[in-house]
Amino acid sequence: MSIVGAYCVNLDKGRCISHEEPWKCGICLQVCPESVYVRDEGGNVQIVNDTACVGCRICQESCPTDSLHIKPAESEANTRFIWPSGVVEEIHRKALTGDYSLRGLGTMGPRIPHFDSIVVVPSQLASDPARDKYREECNLEVVIGEETAKYPIRLKVPIIIAGMSFGALSREAKLSLAVGAALAGTITNTGEGGMLPEEPHLAHGFEKADDKEKKWNPGGYFVVQWSSGRWGVNLDYLQAGDAVEIKIGQGAKPGMGGHLLGKKVTPEVAKVRGIPVGTDALSPCRYYDVISFDDLKHQVEIIRDMTDYKVPILLKIGPSRPYKDVTLAVEAGVDAISLDGMAGGTGCSPTVVTQGVGIPTIACISQAAQALKDEKVHRKVKLFAMGGIRNGLDIYKAMAMGADGVGIGAAAEIALGCRTCMACHTGNCRYGLATGKPELSYFLDPYIGGRRIANFIKATSEEIEILTMLSGHDAIGTLTKEDIRALDLDTAAITGIKLIGMEDYYPDYWGKREGKDRTATPLPRVT
Amino acid sequence: MVEVDAGGKELRKVSEEVKEAISKGEPVIIKNAGKCYGLASGLRGGTVKIVGDANDYVGTVNSGAEIVVAGTAGNFLGDNMTSGKIMVSGDAGHGAGIYCYGGMMIVKGETGDFTGTMNKGATLVIGGNVGHDSGTYMTSGELIILGDAGTNLGNYVIRGAIYLAGNAESLGNNMKEVALTEEDTNRLKKLFKENGFEVDLTKMKKMKKYTPETDKPFYKEKSEDLWEVSTCQ
Repeated sequence: MSIVGAYCVNLDKGRCISHEEPWKCGICLQVCPESVYVRDEGGNVQIVNDTACVGCRICQESCPTDSLHIKPAESEANTRFIWPSGVVEEIHRKALTGDYSLRGLGTMGPRIPHFDSIVVVPSQLASDPARDKYREECNLEVVIGEETAKYPIRLKVPIIIAGMSFGALSREAKLSLAVGAALAGTITNTGEGGMLPEEPHLAHGFEKADDKEKKWNPGGYFVVQWSSGRWGVNLDYLQAGDAVEIKIGQGAKPGMGGHLLGKKVTPEVAKVRGIPVGTDALSPCRYYDVISFDDLKHQVEIIRDMTDYKVPILLKIGPSRPYKDVTLAVEAGVDAISLDGMAGGTGCSPTVVTQGVGIPTIACISQAAQALKDEKVHRKVKLFAMGGIRNGLDIYKAMAMGADGVGIGAAAEIALGCRTCMACHTGNCRYGLATGKPELSYFLDPYIGGRRIANFIKATSEEIEILTMLSGHDAIGTLTKEDIRALDLDTAAITGIKLIGMEDYYPDYWGKREGKDRTATPLPRVT
Repeated sequence: MVEVDAGGKELRKVSEEVKEAISKGEPVIIKNAGKCYGLASGLRGGTVKIVGDANDYVGTVNSGAEIVVAGTAGNFLGDNMTSGKIMVSGDAGHGAGIYCYGGMMIVKGETGDFTGTMNKGATLVIGGNVGHDSGTYMTSGELIILGDAGTNLGNYVIRGAIYLAGNAESLGNNMKEVALTEEDTNRLKKLFKENGFEVDLTKMKKMKKYTPETDKPFYKEKSEDLWEVSTCQ
């Protein structure tokens, strides 16, 4: 489970300033989020805890003399089975402190099935001919709430920015996401921490609230979240949104509410959330105002009513029982479902939850899409896959499995500069993202940050275009599982994608689901 | 005065009629409201009276309206209210005054479990008993109970106060009893008088006040890891 001990930290003492001039430099001590380094009595920097290194390489990047090198260690899984040093050290740590471990980001480790075990099938003779990316058009638009809302959302690209709260992220990071959404023509989402006054107009592309002309075209959409903590929710907030997202759960910690530790509850965050400065904001794990499923249906209707039936209603769920959950979400009457897989990230979660709770993203998508097909609303009620989406390849595969688009959270933060050090919960983010400290977020310029996010979305969208067109499509809405293949039996079994070399579904369960006549199967049934 | 008959109508239709009347400055009376969920939700002002009993989610995100329920109200009365006033002559169900940010709620009768949970600034006055887990995780505001409370009253409250005239089956985590100040007593007396509660002196003397022991009951700060508030001010 633990990723501790996965890296070797090498300090070249011949180049290190502190070994040449004791008590000088020491930048690595300051920037390391995991306390790998100490200064000894002689003023020299020493490595004291290299097993704690998580491979973020912030020290390596910051070292003025290039004397630090972080390299992956040989996998102890090969030599120590269930007792690698990381596991041992974690038990020691718990024995010393009595605390369980918290961290940011998402699931780590090699054993979680992900998109890498799927490949794209290109077009040749036995399918529609390939399209020319350079000279032909490809439709990437996704429309949400076309039949239910007065003002549907028309996304230019099938990539939305997932809900991340103000508080978990800095003010500058939130505004960067809004500007990025405006430039990319997509959604930014408040998350559960209320909204900043600038967010709606920035997301729509206007630099100031009363501007008549957009600074950032084509302009995006602003989604407000209705969640279990109900932080910062009032009528102005609900009516400021181009959609309202009802958040039931998230991939990194399904079954738990949001964690915002007191260190990140600044006066501004406290004001928005209505809590004392410095106190932990721990959202409830469930809605206190939903006892039965019917209550959720009533809430969907009441939110539509409070927003005058103008905007779509979205629902975000974590990875639990995707088929049944999505079936119920459809019954609840929402316009789009964001299904966040196990690889989804967070600003803070108990490590055991992030590492071991939930269903991997790729195992959720096919089940969710099947539920929509069985309810006869596939491509009508939109499905957004979330949890570990990194590039156009992941997105293409998710859409071929039945999603209408994807949500990005960690990737958006990385586009803003995040180095995935997993210490978001400490509030000491060196890149000004997951922090409430102005001295750290000061250097994050929302206009530049927004441009970086938009660039990332643009490049990724072009990757989607390339893949869509080389497999014979001119629109993402026509992608199917026939456009992808699984590289191994496990992936074929859990996703319902044909196995490479077999050209058939495995196991029989998925063949039936796809409506195939499965009179014989070349592979044994799973019992 | 505009009468709206909610019988057999969908929320959308009833809501349109209510909002239209309020936009013209007319008070609204809603009849046959028993089967309609979420009546008088999201109103920024106006006066609405529901004749007879009301269903769940009355006055959700109330933002300035005065809402009166002449009979009993269902679950989640005044869910997430931010301002305005809601008054119920009878009882209210589970989660009355839940997630409220502000405004005032008066329930003459009893309320169910999780009353006033996650109250963030409203004043909630309950004339009778409240159920279990009432006042859970309040972050501000007041919950005033003239009857008894169930188990786990005020569990993990981090700010605000709970006043209880009767007895609680048990207190939740992080609750401590403190003495009522003279200012508290005078304010409560005024509040009761203004809202038609007859509370005798004996009951007032028995009134207990509960406040949180600490505003940080979950994760304890480590001394080397203290966040400096001054850096953000």
